[in-house]
Amino acid sequence: MRKAFVLAFLLLLSPAARANDPSAPIRFEETGAAVGARMLHHTREFKGRYADVLGMFTSGGAAVAVGDYDGDGDEDLFVTDSGTGRPNHLLKNQLIETGKLAFVDVAKAAGVAGGNDERDIVADALWFDADNDGHPDLLVARFGTPILYRNLGNGRFEDVSVKAGLTKFGNTIAVIAFDYDNDGRLDLLFGNYFPPVNLIDLPTTHVLPNDLDAAANGGGVTLWRNVTAPGSHDIRFVEVTERAGLSGQTGWTLDVGHGDLDNDGWQDLYLADDYGTDRLFFNNRDGTFRDATKQALGRLDTRKGMNVDVADFDRDGWLDVYVTNITDEYMKECNMLWHNNGDGTFTDLAKETGTCNTLWGWGAKFGDFDNDGWLDLFAADGLRSAGKENYIPVLLEMIIKPGVDFSELGSWPHIGAMSWSGHQKKKLFRNMGTLAFKEMAAEAGVDNDRDGRGVALGDFDNDGRLDIYETNAGQESLLYRNVSPGTAHWIELSLIGSKSNRDAIGARATLKAGGVTWIREVDGGNGYAGQSSKRLHFGLGAAAKIASLEIRWPSGLVEKLPAASVPLDRLTTIREGSGVVNERKSR
Amino acid sequence: MKILRRIPVPLILLLAAGGLAFAATAYEDTMKAVAAGNNAAALPLFETALAADPDDLKSANEYRKAVIRTKEYDRAIAFFGKLTAQHPQAAYAWLSFGYAYVDKIPDAGSITQVILANSALTNFSKSIELRKTWIALFTLGNSYLYWPKVFGRAPLGVADLEQAVALSRKEPKQRSVYVRAWIALGDAYWKTEQPEKAKSTWRQALELFPGNPELKARLERDGDELEKYIYDQLDPNRRVDTNLAPLWEE
Repeated sequence: MRKAFVLAFLLLLSPAARANDPSAPIRFEETGAAVGARMLHHTREFKGRYADVLGMFTSGGAAVAVGDYDGDGDEDLFVTDSGTGRPNHLLKNQLIETGKLAFVDVAKAAGVAGGNDERDIVADALWFDADNDGHPDLLVARFGTPILYRNLGNGRFEDVSVKAGLTKFGNTIAVIAFDYDNDGRLDLLFGNYFPPVNLIDLPTTHVLPNDLDAAANGGGVTLWRNVTAPGSHDIRFVEVTERAGLSGQTGWTLDVGHGDLDNDGWQDLYLADDYGTDRLFFNNRDGTFRDATKQALGRLDTRKGMNVDVADFDRDGWLDVYVTNITDEYMKECNMLWHNNGDGTFTDLAKETGTCNTLWGWGAKFGDFDNDGWLDLFAADGLRSAGKENYIPVLLEMIIKPGVDFSELGSWPHIGAMSWSGHQKKKLFRNMGTLAFKEMAAEAGVDNDRDGRGVALGDFDNDGRLDIYETNAGQESLLYRNVSPGTAHWIELSLIGSKSNRDAIGARATLKAGGVTWIREVDGGNGYAGQSSKRLHFGLGAAAKIASLEIRWPSGLVEKLPAASVPLDRLTTIREGSGVVNERKSR
Repeated sequence: MKILRRIPVPLILLLAAGGLAFAATAYEDTMKAVAAGNNAAALPLFETALAADPDDLKSANEYRKAVIRTKEYDRAIAFFGKLTAQHPQAAYAWLSFGYAYVDKIPDAGSITQVILANSALTNFSKSIELRKTWIALFTLGNSYLYWPKVFGRAPLGVADLEQAVALSRKEPKQRSVYVRAWIALGDAYWKTEQPEKAKSTWRQALELFPGNPELKARLERDGDELEKYIYDQLDPNRRVDTNLAPLWEE
């Protein structure tokens, strides 16, 4: 009833009630191999009696992080592998140098290829400027201990993990950088899947979820405060999980996301937990968070949270949250599109908007792929595509066994060459501007059936159209170049913090054009296994000129930019307190 | 009344016995508590009554309704578990035990739903072993239909539903509640890829139960539309109507 009311209210009052033009196509071309960005991922192979089950439970690790690590004006990619001894890939974009989109793997020369050793498994990656020196540093999250690579600014990186204090073991599967205390330094939140046991050298066989709908024996999260001295390259972190009020989390965290959900200028958190309850935390503005899950979401869910992305999909000035879960023939959970009601509560509109079903969900990202002014959604899916035999009936026998201990490795049947929710077609939901989305992945050319994991968006060829990079577990990654023929205008903003963190993570841009108001926030790695570009991308739809642009920086400074200083169809760089410092034409 | 004669204690007598065991005034007091919205207070009263007469399906039904309102599912499961352990020959106690699991399903997570559904099947089967009643046969057969196709459970429900329909056809009067078994039998044929047999079953049922909207809805649809309709009806996230009152109210 409440949901119906909210929907009706939104439809009546929101300026969003303008239908999109369904005739303008969205088109992508898969060009990964052609541009040197197709990377084969390897999942970790375990040894011993439980090798099969452990391999099944750790079949992630295919991640991508987008960032301009060399500051040359085009987006580079860091793509992970997880196989023992397998190198990660630093794909340097040669667009600026050569005028053509092409990547070359410089990971070994840069010193960032390692990480997959006998004890540690690479699971995620993140670009963030830990020391505010203008050179993006690289965090490689692992089932093990993380690696923090400091960017030396000369194409090489130095492993500073131990000096930085990042030596705590955890089975980290997701990491974000954000400034939770608005002190101008980027902090780290690790989402940990398994409890902190070494899966390669098992101290116990009770390492799996103790409940498949409400597990309470996972790795939870850890929060690390950046205490690097201003101007210093001696990067330091200290753990503040308990002090921040996050130590009680024992879920199987699969993804973490941040955003200013209550419009107070402070970053809030959403934790997507597999095998049970997601959590929403509001920032208390004093270095602590409060768990507002029950009040905000109305319930404690039992779903398999896989992804968190945060954006204002309905242009009402409040950030919404998209969470993927598992929906298949045998498990009909439905995703959650948490519409922000603007009063500290959220209403799930996944069913009503048509974004409920992305099968076995993984990474999913909001992005305006046709520059029509409405945020669309691309979602990866698919767990394991192998032989014809289906693992589900085999699994059922274990699940219904009386008194079975799910946490015990020996309880789980071997999967061998069986498939499990495999061969699933990816989904692209076009935002129709009427609180409804239309699925059109096949039409857009992105309906591959690989075992998707991470999704990262970025304008890799600087043409004003958002491209997609998709990682796949145990399979090759894909790069979808956006070739949509639309003619709508766009702008892209690159924000540089001065008093705020230099990456401007948490900065909010409010753009007005053609009677429409958009908000975008710079995020530090939202979305499962995929960090998108930190550039803010706006499709302007029918608007032909900008009315106003305002940046609210994490420092609290609100900066109004003259509309004329932000040209259309350009990437514009804005420095905190200095306004526009640079603009570049599209190709 | 052949269906009722097939069970050792006919339903009416059973209900009467329940009424005797659960003294009329106590029952009225309990129902007053329920009517006043004081479900929590009613639960122990129902439990006392059922302990005295474990086969009292009417009290068990009212108890489960109060449980659904209070969401005290685990309490009911524990109670019926104990009751059946103490009275292993009480067929309706086993049936109610199964329903106690079913009642929890819509409020449970997707994996727990499977576990609950399987436990329900076990208890419904036990009830049938003790006494082959229309309600138990229909309930067990119908329960199989909620399982996703990949688990291959639907074929197991066909025989039970055929028996339930056969039992009801021997009755001189076709009580409206019997239509449920006809609908479910058609659904079972449909889920086991016998669409013509499904349609034929629903058509036959419509002659016996003219105007039944669920039968009409199925007969009006074909192909994907029918598939969607049936799957919507068999969605485990929707609360199944487990109120057995039509058995004795008609």
